[in-house]
Amino acid sequence: MDADAVAAEALVAVEAASSVAELDEARVRYLGRKSELKQALREVRDRETGMALNSARRRIEEAVAARQAGLERAELDRSLSEERTDITFPGEAQPRGHLHLITQVRREVEDIFLGMGYEVVEGREVETSHYLFDALNMPAGHPTRSPLHTFFLDDDVVLRTETSPAQIHAMEARKPPIYIVSLGRCYRRDTADATHYPIFHQVEGLAVDRGLTLADLKGTLLRLLRLLFGEEREARFATHFFPFTEPSIEAYVSCFLCDGTGCRVCRHSGWIEIGGAGMVDPNVLRFVGYDPEEVTGFAFGWGLERMAMLRHGLPDIRALWENDLRLLEQF
Amino acid sequence: MRVPLQWLREYVDVQASAEEIAGRLSVSTCEVERIVRHGVADADGNLGLYRVGRVVEAGKHPNADRLQLCRVDVGEGESRQIVCGAWNFGVGATVAVALPGAVLPDGQRLEEVKLRGESSSGMILSERELELGTDNSGILVLADGPDPGTPLVELFPLGDEVLEIETTPNRPDLLSIYGLAREVAALFRADLRPMPGSDPARTAEDEVSIRVEDVEGCPRYVGRAFSEVRIGPSPLWLKARLVSAGMRPISNVVDATNFVMLALGSPLHAFDRLKLAEGRIVVRRATPGEEIRTLDGNARALDASDLVIADAARPIAIAGIMGGEDSEVTEETASVLLEAANFEPVGILRTSERLSLRSEASGRWEKGVDPHLAEPAARLCSQLFAETAGARWIGEADVKGDLPARQVVQLRPERTSALLGLEVEAGEQRRILESLEFDVGDDLRVTVPTFRSGDVTREIDLIEEVGRVKLDEIPFTLPERREMFGRLTREQRLRRIVEDALVGASFSEAYTPSLVTEDVRADALRIPQPQSFDQAVLRTTLLPSLVEAARHNVSVGNEGVALFEIARVYLPDGGELPREEQHVAGIVEGGFPRAKGAVETILGSVQLQGSYRRGSHDLLHPGKTAVTDHGVVGELRPGILEGSWGAFELDLGSIELSDHLRYEDLITFPPIKQDLAFSVPDDVLVGDLAEAAHAAVPELRKMVPFDVYRGEQVGDGRKSIAFRVEFRSPERTLTDEEAAAQRDKIVNVLKLEFGAELRS
Repeated sequence: MDADAVAAEALVAVEAASSVAELDEARVRYLGRKSELKQALREVRDRETGMALNSARRRIEEAVAARQAGLERAELDRSLSEERTDITFPGEAQPRGHLHLITQVRREVEDIFLGMGYEVVEGREVETSHYLFDALNMPAGHPTRSPLHTFFLDDDVVLRTETSPAQIHAMEARKPPIYIVSLGRCYRRDTADATHYPIFHQVEGLAVDRGLTLADLKGTLLRLLRLLFGEEREARFATHFFPFTEPSIEAYVSCFLCDGTGCRVCRHSGWIEIGGAGMVDPNVLRFVGYDPEEVTGFAFGWGLERMAMLRHGLPDIRALWENDLRLLEQF
Repeated sequence: MRVPLQWLREYVDVQASAEEIAGRLSVSTCEVERIVRHGVADADGNLGLYRVGRVVEAGKHPNADRLQLCRVDVGEGESRQIVCGAWNFGVGATVAVALPGAVLPDGQRLEEVKLRGESSSGMILSERELELGTDNSGILVLADGPDPGTPLVELFPLGDEVLEIETTPNRPDLLSIYGLAREVAALFRADLRPMPGSDPARTAEDEVSIRVEDVEGCPRYVGRAFSEVRIGPSPLWLKARLVSAGMRPISNVVDATNFVMLALGSPLHAFDRLKLAEGRIVVRRATPGEEIRTLDGNARALDASDLVIADAARPIAIAGIMGGEDSEVTEETASVLLEAANFEPVGILRTSERLSLRSEASGRWEKGVDPHLAEPAARLCSQLFAETAGARWIGEADVKGDLPARQVVQLRPERTSALLGLEVEAGEQRRILESLEFDVGDDLRVTVPTFRSGDVTREIDLIEEVGRVKLDEIPFTLPERREMFGRLTREQRLRRIVEDALVGASFSEAYTPSLVTEDVRADALRIPQPQSFDQAVLRTTLLPSLVEAARHNVSVGNEGVALFEIARVYLPDGGELPREEQHVAGIVEGGFPRAKGAVETILGSVQLQGSYRRGSHDLLHPGKTAVTDHGVVGELRPGILEGSWGAFELDLGSIELSDHLRYEDLITFPPIKQDLAFSVPDDVLVGDLAEAAHAAVPELRKMVPFDVYRGEQVGDGRKSIAFRVEFRSPERTLTDEEAAAQRDKIVNVLKLEFGAELRS
């Protein structure tokens, strides 16, 4: 017999089998005890014929096995597809809480500055007026020193109105170079309304080193604004006044809602005010024992609530203190 | 402050548009909040539709008793018929007319209309309609002279663009049009005109008696006497200026003082000289019990810290804040004493705050006005008195204390460039400073003008002057330093780990106020004068605030409430400042097990295991409260919130984040696991059993209860506790015999210590 011809015929039959039963028929026909091939094998006498027959048998067996696997898989799929589930039905709940929006912004700012090589320092919330006012070059008679604006516990003890005292402590504790940010709760005697709350969160940054410039401050704040509000944002700066910086500036970011064409959020100016900054006043450097001829520094202090509200379109700052799950779970 | 640009342009020769001026000012000088149009709009030929008219016929409207029907010559050859509601004029009057098509200041477009059957092709205007003043009782009757048809804008400003600016406290010099003109001149390299004002002729040498008893409070007092003053309305140009700057015209004399205040920044006051007792001025502190009725009609009780202007008998003004009614300039006034003085800021602020009395003047004094301004202010005002009220200047006294000398500050131009990060040529620095009226010597020794003396005292202040003008040109760079390493401290990492662990355990984060109504600790720090009752005390614990946060959520119908907070508490400990601890607290629906699970999650997140003892807490169920080394956990007392709630509060500072956990081999030698159940007296604690077992058998690695059973089979007063236990040796695989021996040891110990019986 012609082994190759038999094999070829068998392969066609195997391939043509459209069910396990049909395949079984083909298998019996070509590989069964009474099959032509098996009979030929029983009668084989010479080595060459034996090899040819065995090769044909192997090819057929492989084809049968492959076809068998394919048919079984198809049959399983057919039966599985009858057990269909509603894949639009909600999954099993995996309850998970949410970080407060301010924490999320705080972490983001921390991470940005960690990435730029800054450390995060903590400070006291209850401070002496020495660290809150005197060290920051705040003259007697400055409005912030009035009990109308600041929470005084007694003449010398106050709730910090900004996180700057942490920076003074940090500067006292070590020598330049200093690259730090401090974040946390601050207190001012504001009446609560949509944009004010007596307690708020600030991030303040401070860098003191040889040769720091106002250009470095502008560049640093531009990076921060772009990382927070998008790489396509522009920054603009305007002169301002703070007792602890000189020169002092106020930072603006191009409006991320209208992209500068003017909208309600940017009061149709195309720019949104973000917060104050400036070069550290030489008096502040001297206060902590640094020589302003040797080192210069820059600092900024911005409100985390403002960043969060602007970025997420939150209309009322008081909502951040209500702790309503319907708000918390949105972020 | 409102800055009318036409007024500004009188002092500085600048062509730039309002937007350009606002843009430069807001970068380099002060915030410009917006640009508003005041008065008649200057667009599409609108101004040309406002003309001088002469009334050629006037009579009652045939169909309306209250209206006049007029014909008005507006220079077109033929007169126009106009219906008018006012009667304060007649034939021959010169009036202001708006022609059809004109857009009025209120935004309405004037149309030809029929009023009660008669056509009206135009409108005869009142002061108010032109936004020149508040008078709407009749139309504006102009002085005769200008020809009909003359554009009104040639007679007086019809409208202006006004910048609304917000200045910083260090720049009182910007609270004047001239001060802003100086800035604009510097920013646009434009010419600043000399300060306006020239003295009229002095026609007599009357004695003016001025005594300053408090030179510190009043370092300068220029008093000028005027006679033959004719009080009346101001000329329209003056009214227009004041109104565009946001002030109400009152009378020529008062308007002149206000004009000078706005123009130069030094407030003035005019007294009726004949009403001064003995014609004298005494500047002194009030005596306790003195009173004054101020111009706003209120009686004010004065105290010894208030600076007053008095005559020989009584206070006639609260210095720098408001004049008194008694010496007010009225329509009958013919003799005026003009006060051009200087007052010390802090005292003015104190009195103004104490009396809750603020005025345009006090707002300037409290920020500090250049003492050298009194003189030019007196000069400009005298000129206006002469021109607008026909006044004759008849005498002057000038009392001054030691006026501050001008400061001299050395500038190193290379220092400017180094600090700004922008190379600015020395010559350019000089130009900037000179344009701001600093005197710059050859060696860059800079003499500071007196109007900047409060703000510029050091080299850095001069650098800021250059920097603010150049601010937009300064590039964006980053610090050059490379050896900077940012890393969170252990405490900061711990905080994040705990936050994340709790979020993973389905807690959401709350932020509650640190100031509360009341605290459990009687010695908690108090705000001496809280602005409201709920911000009176610095809390020593977070839990009560979280209870309120949970209550809010329940009240609005939120379900599955689980909240946590990480915040400071403030613990008085005898020192000047309280001890601040960082706490983590939580509240959760579901009672003790949920809360304890959260605490175990927190401790587990840093590989710690707590040990729990019975404890007590004000807010917690006495039978379901445990304390650990780190804080407290328990079930909220019934009745505080509906349902069953768990709560905890831990001191984060007491939890240590280990940096060096060691690997333990739990893989090479497998454990032997068994379930053991013990019957024990009801009051025995699971934790005590496990602790005793662990102490007795080191190979006991785990002993976790999974079932507690009470009932007949164990008997009264007893319970059965089933544990899953694991024995494991780090060195070898334990045999069944070894495990059996260890189990027997545990059984014996628990029997001995707790009366426990092994159940089969």
